[in-house]
Amino acid sequence: MTDERTVQVETNRAAAEPNSSALSPLVDIYELPNEVVLVAEIPGVNKDSVSIQVDKGVLTLEAKPTPLSVGPEFAATYKGFESGPYYRAFALSDEIDRDKIRATTTNGVLTIHLPKAEMAKTRKIEIQTCD
Amino acid sequence: MAIFRLGTSFDPFVGLRSLQRELERLSWPWSGEARRVGGGTYPPVNVYESPGEIVVQCEAAGVSAADFDISITGETLTIKGVKRPPDEQDVRYVRRERGSGEFTRTIVLPDEVEADKIQAKLADGIMTIHLPKAATAKPRKIDVKTS
Repeated sequence: MTDERTVQVETNRAAAEPNSSALSPLVDIYELPNEVVLVAEIPGVNKDSVSIQVDKGVLTLEAKPTPLSVGPEFAATYKGFESGPYYRAFALSDEIDRDKIRATTTNGVLTIHLPKAEMAKTRKIEIQTCD
Repeated sequence: MAIFRLGTSFDPFVGLRSLQRELERLSWPWSGEARRVGGGTYPPVNVYESPGEIVVQCEAAGVSAADFDISITGETLTIKGVKRPPDEQDVRYVRRERGSGEFTRTIVLPDEVEADKIQAKLADGIMTIHLPKAATAKPRKIDVKTS
Protein backbone atom coordinates (compact mmCIF):
# COMPACT_ATOMS: atom_id res chain seq x y z
CA MET A 1 0.00 0.00 0.00
CA THR A 2 1.71 3.15 -1.15
CA ASP A 3 -0.65 6.02 -0.62
CA GLU A 4 1.81 8.86 -0.60
CA ARG A 5 0.25 12.19 0.04
CA THR A 6 1.77 15.61 -0.15
CA VAL A 7 1.66 17.85 2.88
CA GLN A 8 1.54 21.63 2.62
CA VAL A 9 4.55 23.42 4.08
CA GLU A 10 4.04 26.91 5.46
CA THR A 11 7.04 29.19 5.54
CA ASN A 12 5.84 32.44 7.00
CA ARG A 13 3.65 31.64 9.97
CA ALA A 14 4.94 32.02 13.49
CA ALA A 15 6.04 28.80 15.14
CA ALA A 16 3.46 27.23 17.42
CA GLU A 17 4.04 26.94 21.13
CA PRO A 18 4.73 23.46 22.47
CA ASN A 19 1.85 21.81 24.24
CA SER A 20 2.79 20.21 27.55
CA SER A 21 0.85 17.05 26.72
CA ALA A 22 2.42 16.72 23.28
CA LEU A 23 4.45 13.67 22.34
CA SER A 24 7.86 14.09 20.78
CA PRO A 25 7.86 11.88 17.66
CA LEU A 26 10.78 9.59 16.89
CA VAL A 27 12.81 10.83 13.94
CA ASP A 28 15.52 9.72 11.56
CA ILE A 29 17.54 12.42 9.85
CA TYR A 30 19.91 11.56 7.04
CA GLU A 31 21.88 13.45 4.49
CA LEU A 32 21.96 12.85 0.77
CA PRO A 33 24.17 14.74 -1.71
CA ASN A 34 21.38 17.16 -2.62
CA GLU A 35 19.11 17.15 0.39
CA VAL A 36 18.58 16.36 4.04
CA VAL A 37 15.69 13.99 4.76
CA LEU A 38 13.76 14.01 8.03
CA VAL A 39 11.55 10.99 8.73
CA ALA A 40 9.13 11.23 11.67
CA GLU A 41 6.74 8.63 13.04
CA ILE A 42 3.31 10.12 13.61
CA PRO A 43 0.93 7.14 13.77
CA GLY A 44 -2.76 7.98 13.69
CA VAL A 45 -2.31 11.29 11.93
CA ASN A 46 -4.19 12.05 8.75
CA LYS A 47 -2.19 14.17 6.29
CA ASP A 48 -4.59 17.09 6.71
CA SER A 49 -3.78 17.28 10.41
CA VAL A 50 -0.06 17.79 9.93
CA SER A 51 1.33 21.29 10.05
CA ILE A 52 4.92 22.07 9.20
CA GLN A 53 6.10 25.62 9.68
CA VAL A 54 9.43 27.24 8.99
CA ASP A 55 10.06 30.42 10.88
CA LYS A 56 13.36 32.14 11.71
CA GLY A 57 15.37 29.06 10.86
CA VAL A 58 13.27 26.71 13.01
CA LEU A 59 11.18 23.98 11.45
CA THR A 60 8.20 23.15 13.65
CA LEU A 61 6.31 19.95 13.19
CA GLU A 62 2.87 19.69 14.72
CA ALA A 63 0.37 16.88 14.18
CA LYS A 64 -2.99 16.07 15.67
CA PRO A 65 -4.02 12.43 15.43
CA THR A 66 -7.54 11.31 14.73
CA PRO A 67 -9.11 10.33 18.09
CA LEU A 68 -8.70 6.62 18.82
CA SER A 69 -12.16 6.15 20.31
CA VAL A 70 -13.99 3.21 18.79
CA GLY A 71 -17.47 3.99 20.04
CA PRO A 72 -19.36 4.92 23.18
CA GLU A 73 -20.39 1.32 23.88
CA PHE A 74 -16.75 0.24 24.19
CA ALA A 75 -14.76 0.18 27.40
CA ALA A 76 -10.96 0.15 27.34
CA THR A 77 -9.76 -3.21 28.66
CA TYR A 78 -6.08 -2.52 28.14
CA LYS A 79 -4.34 0.68 27.14
CA GLY A 80 -0.83 0.44 25.79
CA PHE A 81 -0.61 3.72 23.91
CA GLU A 82 -2.27 7.06 23.58
CA SER A 83 -2.41 9.20 20.52
CA GLY A 84 -1.36 12.51 21.89
CA PRO A 85 -0.69 15.47 19.69
CA TYR A 86 2.84 15.43 18.30
CA TYR A 87 5.20 18.37 18.50
CA ARG A 88 8.86 18.74 17.71
CA ALA A 89 11.03 21.62 16.51
CA PHE A 90 14.30 21.45 14.58
CA ALA A 91 16.86 24.15 13.89
CA LEU A 92 17.56 24.37 10.17
CA SER A 93 21.00 24.91 8.79
CA ASP A 94 21.48 27.94 6.53
CA GLU A 95 22.28 25.66 3.63
CA ILE A 96 18.66 24.44 3.38
CA ASP A 97 16.56 26.05 0.65
CA ARG A 98 13.49 27.06 2.72
CA ASP A 99 11.20 27.52 -0.25
CA LYS A 100 11.69 24.05 -1.67
CA ILE A 101 10.85 21.98 1.40
CA ARG A 102 8.28 19.29 0.65
CA ALA A 103 6.69 16.60 2.78
CA THR A 104 4.74 13.39 2.26
CA THR A 105 2.97 10.91 4.55
CA THR A 106 2.74 7.12 4.18
CA ASN A 107 1.38 4.71 6.80
CA GLY A 108 1.82 7.13 9.66
CA VAL A 109 5.33 8.14 8.66
CA LEU A 110 6.04 11.71 7.64
CA THR A 111 8.97 12.32 5.31
CA ILE A 112 10.23 15.88 4.95
CA HIS A 113 12.67 16.62 2.12
CA LEU A 114 14.90 19.58 2.83
CA PRO A 115 16.80 20.41 -0.36
CA LYS A 116 20.19 22.02 -0.06
CA ALA A 117 20.58 25.46 -1.55
CA GLU A 118 22.54 25.61 -4.80
CA MET A 119 25.52 27.28 -3.13
CA ALA A 120 25.75 24.62 -0.41
CA LYS A 121 26.01 21.64 -2.77
CA THR A 122 29.33 19.97 -3.19
CA ARG A 123 31.01 21.06 -6.39
CA LYS A 124 33.87 19.35 -8.04
CA ILE A 125 36.62 21.69 -9.09
CA GLU A 126 38.60 20.72 -12.11
CA ILE A 127 42.31 21.11 -11.78
CA GLN A 128 44.06 22.12 -14.91
CA THR A 129 47.66 21.53 -15.55
CA CYS A 130 49.71 24.07 -17.36
CA ASP A 131 52.83 22.57 -18.78
CA MET B 1 -2.57 4.13 74.43
CA ALA B 2 -1.97 6.54 71.58
CA ILE B 3 -4.94 7.86 69.72
CA PHE B 4 -4.49 9.37 66.28
CA ARG B 5 -7.05 11.75 65.04
CA LEU B 6 -6.85 12.15 61.27
CA GLY B 7 -7.45 15.80 60.51
CA THR B 8 -7.67 17.18 57.00
CA SER B 9 -4.07 18.31 57.07
CA PHE B 10 -2.70 15.03 58.35
CA ASP B 11 -1.57 12.57 55.69
CA PRO B 12 0.13 9.44 57.03
CA PHE B 13 1.42 8.57 53.56
CA VAL B 14 3.01 11.89 52.75
CA GLY B 15 6.50 10.41 52.85
CA LEU B 16 5.51 7.54 50.58
CA ARG B 17 3.85 9.86 48.15
CA SER B 18 6.86 12.11 47.81
CA LEU B 19 9.03 9.04 47.28
CA GLN B 20 6.65 7.87 44.56
CA ARG B 21 6.81 11.28 42.89
CA GLU B 22 10.58 11.22 43.00
CA LEU B 23 10.67 7.77 41.41
CA GLU B 24 8.29 8.93 38.70
CA ARG B 25 10.49 11.92 38.03
CA LEU B 26 13.56 9.68 37.74
CA SER B 27 11.89 7.25 35.38
CA TRP B 28 10.19 10.03 33.43
CA PRO B 29 12.84 12.76 33.37
CA TRP B 30 11.38 14.56 30.37
CA SER B 31 8.01 15.15 32.04
CA GLY B 32 8.69 18.86 32.07
CA GLU B 33 9.00 18.97 28.31
CA ALA B 34 7.18 17.05 25.64
CA ARG B 35 6.60 13.39 26.45
CA ARG B 36 8.48 10.88 24.43
CA VAL B 37 7.01 7.95 22.63
CA GLY B 38 8.50 4.49 22.48
CA GLY B 39 9.87 2.16 25.11
CA GLY B 40 8.08 -0.94 26.32
CA THR B 41 6.75 -3.77 24.22
CA TYR B 42 6.55 -3.09 20.50
CA PRO B 43 4.06 -2.61 18.99
CA PRO B 44 1.88 -1.04 21.68
CA VAL B 45 -1.75 -2.20 21.67
CA ASN B 46 -5.08 -0.99 23.02
CA VAL B 47 -7.91 -3.43 23.68
CA TYR B 48 -11.52 -2.26 23.82
CA GLU B 49 -14.55 -4.33 24.64
CA SER B 50 -18.27 -3.90 24.12
CA PRO B 51 -21.01 -6.48 24.83
CA GLY B 52 -20.83 -7.72 21.24
CA GLU B 53 -17.32 -7.00 20.04
CA ILE B 54 -13.65 -6.73 20.95
CA VAL B 55 -11.48 -4.14 19.20
CA VAL B 56 -7.68 -4.34 19.21
CA GLN B 57 -5.71 -1.32 18.06
CA CYS B 58 -2.03 -1.62 17.33
CA GLU B 59 0.29 1.30 16.68
CA ALA B 60 2.94 0.50 14.08
CA ALA B 61 3.96 3.45 11.96
CA GLY B 62 5.78 2.67 8.75
CA VAL B 63 4.55 -0.91 8.41
CA SER B 64 2.63 -1.53 5.20
CA ALA B 65 -0.51 -3.67 5.16
CA ALA B 66 1.29 -6.43 3.23
CA ASP B 67 3.91 -6.74 5.97
CA PHE B 68 1.34 -7.56 8.65
CA ASP B 69 0.49 -11.16 9.51
CA ILE B 70 -2.48 -11.45 11.85
CA SER B 71 -3.72 -14.83 13.02
CA ILE B 72 -6.05 -16.23 15.65
CA THR B 73 -6.02 -19.53 17.51
CA GLY B 74 -8.89 -19.92 19.94
CA GLU B 75 -8.75 -16.85 22.13
CA THR B 76 -5.16 -15.97 21.25
CA LEU B 77 -4.61 -13.23 18.71
CA THR B 78 -1.14 -12.97 17.20
CA ILE B 79 0.04 -9.85 15.38
CA LYS B 80 3.26 -10.38 13.47
CA GLY B 81 4.96 -8.00 11.13
CA VAL B 82 8.09 -6.57 9.68
CA LYS B 83 9.09 -2.97 9.97
CA ARG B 84 11.41 -2.54 7.03
CA PRO B 85 14.55 -0.47 7.35
CA PRO B 86 14.78 2.55 5.04
CA ASP B 87 15.77 1.92 1.43
CA GLU B 88 18.68 4.32 1.61
CA GLN B 89 21.54 2.34 3.06
CA ASP B 90 24.67 4.28 2.26
CA VAL B 91 23.68 7.58 3.70
CA ARG B 92 25.07 9.57 6.54
CA TYR B 93 22.64 9.46 9.45
CA VAL B 94 22.53 12.57 11.56
CA ARG B 95 19.94 11.08 13.89
CA ARG B 96 18.49 7.62 14.10
CA GLU B 97 15.69 7.03 16.59
CA ARG B 98 13.31 4.83 14.63
CA GLY B 99 13.89 1.12 14.77
CA SER B 100 13.28 -1.64 12.27
CA GLY B 101 12.90 -5.40 12.29
CA GLU B 102 10.39 -8.15 12.95
CA PHE B 103 7.86 -8.01 15.73
CA THR B 104 5.32 -10.35 17.30
CA ARG B 105 2.65 -9.51 19.81
CA THR B 106 0.35 -12.10 21.32
CA ILE B 107 -2.89 -11.01 22.96
CA VAL B 108 -5.12 -13.32 24.96
CA LEU B 109 -8.60 -12.03 24.29
CA PRO B 110 -11.08 -11.65 27.15
CA ASP B 111 -13.72 -13.73 25.31
CA GLU B 112 -14.30 -16.17 22.49
CA VAL B 113 -14.65 -14.56 19.07
CA GLU B 114 -15.97 -15.57 15.66
CA ALA B 115 -12.79 -16.18 13.71
CA ASP B 116 -14.51 -15.92 10.32
CA LYS B 117 -15.84 -12.44 10.94
CA ILE B 118 -12.63 -10.73 12.06
CA GLN B 119 -11.80 -7.57 10.15
CA ALA B 120 -8.48 -5.72 10.18
CA LYS B 121 -7.95 -2.24 8.81
CA LEU B 122 -4.77 -0.20 8.55
CA ALA B 123 -5.03 3.58 8.55
CA ASP B 124 -2.19 6.06 9.05
CA GLY B 125 0.01 3.55 10.86
CA ILE B 126 -2.69 2.25 13.20
CA MET B 127 -4.02 -1.27 12.71
CA THR B 128 -7.57 -1.70 14.01
CA ILE B 129 -8.86 -5.26 14.36
CA HIS B 130 -12.58 -5.83 14.92
CA LEU B 131 -13.36 -9.19 16.52
CA PRO B 132 -17.08 -9.95 16.92
CA LYS B 133 -17.76 -12.08 19.99
CA ALA B 134 -18.99 -15.63 19.56
CA ALA B 135 -22.67 -16.21 20.29
CA THR B 136 -21.79 -18.14 23.46
CA ALA B 137 -19.75 -15.20 24.79
CA LYS B 138 -22.43 -12.57 24.22
CA PRO B 139 -24.65 -11.67 27.15
CA ARG B 140 -28.14 -13.09 26.82
CA LYS B 141 -31.20 -11.64 28.38
CA ILE B 142 -33.24 -14.06 30.44
CA ASP B 143 -36.92 -13.50 30.71
CA VAL B 144 -38.35 -13.66 34.15
CA LYS B 145 -41.74 -15.29 34.34
CA THR B 146 -44.31 -14.39 36.88
CA SER B 147 -46.57 -17.05 38.20
